[in-house]
Amino acid sequence: MRILLVEDEAPLRETLAARLKRDGFAVDAAQDGEEGMYLGREVPFDLAIIDLGLPKMSGMDLVRALREAGQRYPILILTARGSWQDKVEGLKHGADDYLVKPFHVEELLARINALVRRASGWSKPVLACGPIKLDTTAQTVSVEGKLVDLTSYEYKVLEYLMLHAGELVSKADLTEHIYQQDFDRDSNVLEVFIGRLRRKLDPEGTLKPIETVRGRGYRFAIPRSESDDE
Amino acid sequence: MDADTALPSPAAKATTNEPLPPRRPFSLAARAALATGLVLAAFLGVVGLTLSRTNADNALKDQQERLENFVTAYLSGMEVVNRTGKVFLPDTPPDQAFSRPGSGLYAVVIGDNNLRLESPSAIGRDFGFLRQLQPGESEFGPVDTRMGRLYYYAYGVSWDLSDRKSIPLTVMVAQTEDVIEGQNAETRRSLVFWLSSLGVMLILLQLLLLRWSLTPLRKVATEMSRVERGHAEHLDNQYPLELTGLTERINAFIDSEREQRTRYRNTLADLAHSLKTPLAVIRSRLELAGENTPFRGDVLDQVRRMDELVAYQLARAATSGRQTFATTAVPFAEHAEDLVQSLEKVYAAKNVLCEFDIDEGAVFYGEQGDLLELMGNLLENAFKWARHRVLLVVRFEPQAGRQRPDLWLSVEDDGPGIDEDKVEKVLQRGVRGDERVQGHGIGLSIVQDIVRAYKGELTVDRSPEFGGARFAVRLPSG
Repeated sequence: MRILLVEDEAPLRETLAARLKRDGFAVDAAQDGEEGMYLGREVPFDLAIIDLGLPKMSGMDLVRALREAGQRYPILILTARGSWQDKVEGLKHGADDYLVKPFHVEELLARINALVRRASGWSKPVLACGPIKLDTTAQTVSVEGKLVDLTSYEYKVLEYLMLHAGELVSKADLTEHIYQQDFDRDSNVLEVFIGRLRRKLDPEGTLKPIETVRGRGYRFAIPRSESDDE
Repeated sequence: MDADTALPSPAAKATTNEPLPPRRPFSLAARAALATGLVLAAFLGVVGLTLSRTNADNALKDQQERLENFVTAYLSGMEVVNRTGKVFLPDTPPDQAFSRPGSGLYAVVIGDNNLRLESPSAIGRDFGFLRQLQPGESEFGPVDTRMGRLYYYAYGVSWDLSDRKSIPLTVMVAQTEDVIEGQNAETRRSLVFWLSSLGVMLILLQLLLLRWSLTPLRKVATEMSRVERGHAEHLDNQYPLELTGLTERINAFIDSEREQRTRYRNTLADLAHSLKTPLAVIRSRLELAGENTPFRGDVLDQVRRMDELVAYQLARAATSGRQTFATTAVPFAEHAEDLVQSLEKVYAAKNVLCEFDIDEGAVFYGEQGDLLELMGNLLENAFKWARHRVLLVVRFEPQAGRQRPDLWLSVEDDGPGIDEDKVEKVLQRGVRGDERVQGHGIGLSIVQDIVRAYKGELTVDRSPEFGGARFAVRLPSG
C-alpha cells in the first residue's frame, strides 16, 4: 500500500511516516501543498493523507486539484479546527474521510484500511475469496478457518492482490505499492514472496490462488465472496 | 393601616411608594402638532378678534346710517300746517315696523311746547333720554333704557313756516339692540366656524406633512429590524440628506461588528491549530514509543485532556448565538443535504439510509457555523450509532400568542438508543458513550452549548419510529 502523506509539521510528519512504514506501508511524505501536488500526480498512490492547513497551497486546494487531475485514490483529510464547515467542504471537494487533530494513530490506521478496502470495492473488513480469508483489522489470514503464519511483507503482497482480486496486477504495480522508493526493483524478491505465499496458502497445490500472467504480472484467481462474519 | 402610611393625600402616597418610570419624551409628531396648534390658536384668535371688532364697528356705522336714513325719510314725509304749526307724521312710514307696536323700531318727534309725536310702534314707551336738539345738531348712540339697550339717532331741525317763522323740531329714530346684536352674533358665529375649520384643516395638513417628512425615519426602523433578523445585510435604501450621516454610521457599525467577529473566530482557529498540532506530535511520539517509556500513560492521558479542552473551548467560543446585526437566515435544507452527503461518504461502509423531513422554508436565524455544528454533531452521532436508518426532522412549531413559530429539529436512529437513566451521563461533558467509536465526546457538549446560546432546549428520548435514540432540539423563534 503506497501512501502520500502531506503535513507541514515536521515532527508529526516524521512520526506518522515512521509508524506507517512500521505497519508495512510505503510512504511518500511532502511538507507543503505544492510538493504534495507534484507527488500526488506522479506516483500511483493507494491513499493520500492531507492536512488542511498547509503552506504554499492549502489542503483544500490540493484535494480539489488532485481530483481535477483525475486521481481517484481515497483521500483522508486532517483538520485541526474540526469545524463542520471544514469537514463538509473537504468532503465536498473530493476527500473521503476526515480526522480531527490530535488523533490516535490506531484510529488513523483503521481509517486507512477501511478507505483502501472501500476503494477496491470491499465493504467489510474481512476479505473473503473462497476458503481464503484476510482480516484487515487483525491483519491475519486463514485458509478454511486455519490461521496461516505470514510475514509482514507477505501479508502486504497478499492483501494487495486480494484487494484487487480478479484484476491483473503488474509487477511494477506491486513493487510501487508495497516497497519504499529506494527499494531495488530489479531484484527477484517479489517472485520469492509470491512463491512463498503460494506454498503457505496452498501447500497441496489444489486451490491455485495466485495466477501468473506471463510477462505481465499476477492475478488473484479465486473470485470474491463477501464474508458474513465481521 | 399604620400612621406612617396614612398620609393625607393619596397622590403623595402614590409617588412615595413607586418610583415613576422615566417618561418617554413627546413624539416628534406630537411636538409639531402641539407647536403648530398653539401658534395657530394664537394667530387665528387675533385674526378672529380683529375681524369681529371691525365687523362690530362696521355694524355700528351701518346702524347709524340706517337710522339717519329713517330720520331723513321722516323729515321728508312730515307735514307741518303753516297756520297752526301743527306737525303730522307721514302717512306711510319708511318701514312697516314703525306701525307695529313693540316692533323694536321707533320714531319720535319732539318740539317746543311739549310737542311730541310718536310712531304707532313707540306709543306708550318712555324715551326719557331724548332732549331737544339745536338745529343741525345730531346725536347717535346706544342708550340703556327700561326696554333694554337702544340705538338711536336724533337730529335737530328748524322747520320753516310760511310766515318767516320757524319751529325747532327734533326727530329721533331708535332701534332695539337685539336686531343689531343678532346680526353681530351671526357674523361672529360664522367667523368662529370658518376660522376653526381653517385651524383644523391646517393642523391636519400639518400632520400629513409631518408623516410624509418622517417616512424615512420609519423606513430606517423597519430596515434595521430586517437587518437584525438577518433578512438584509445593510441599510440599503436611499435616504434623504439629513439621515445619510446616521445611516452611514449604522452601516459602518454593522460592518465593524461583523469584521470583528470574523477576526475573533480566525484568531481562535489559528490558536487551536497551533495548539493541536504540537499535541498531535506528542501523542503520536508517545504512541510510537515503547510501553515502558516513563510516564507514557500519564502524559497520554493529560494530552487527551488538553486536547478535549482545546476542542471544547474552541467550539464554545465559536458558538456565537443569536447576535444583533450579525444574524442571517440560514436555510436548513441545503446544509442538511451537504452534511448528510458528507456523512454518507464517511460512513459508506455502514450503508446508512438517511431521510429528511424538513418543512419548506425552514430557516435558522443565526450563524451558519452554529447550525452546521448543531446538525453535524447530532447527525454524526446518529450515523455512528445507527444500524441502517437515520431520520432528520425540521418542523415549524406554532406557538400560541407568538407571531413566528418555534423550530423543532430532531435526529433519530435505529441504533441501541440510550436508557433513560443514562441520558444525564451522556450529556455530561467529555463522557464518551463508547470508547470504540472515534470522537472526542465533545460533540454533544457543543450541541448543548449552541442550544443554550440560542435559548433552546435539548431533549433525549427514544425514537418512536426506529426505537433508537432521538435527540430533539427546540429553538425559539427569537
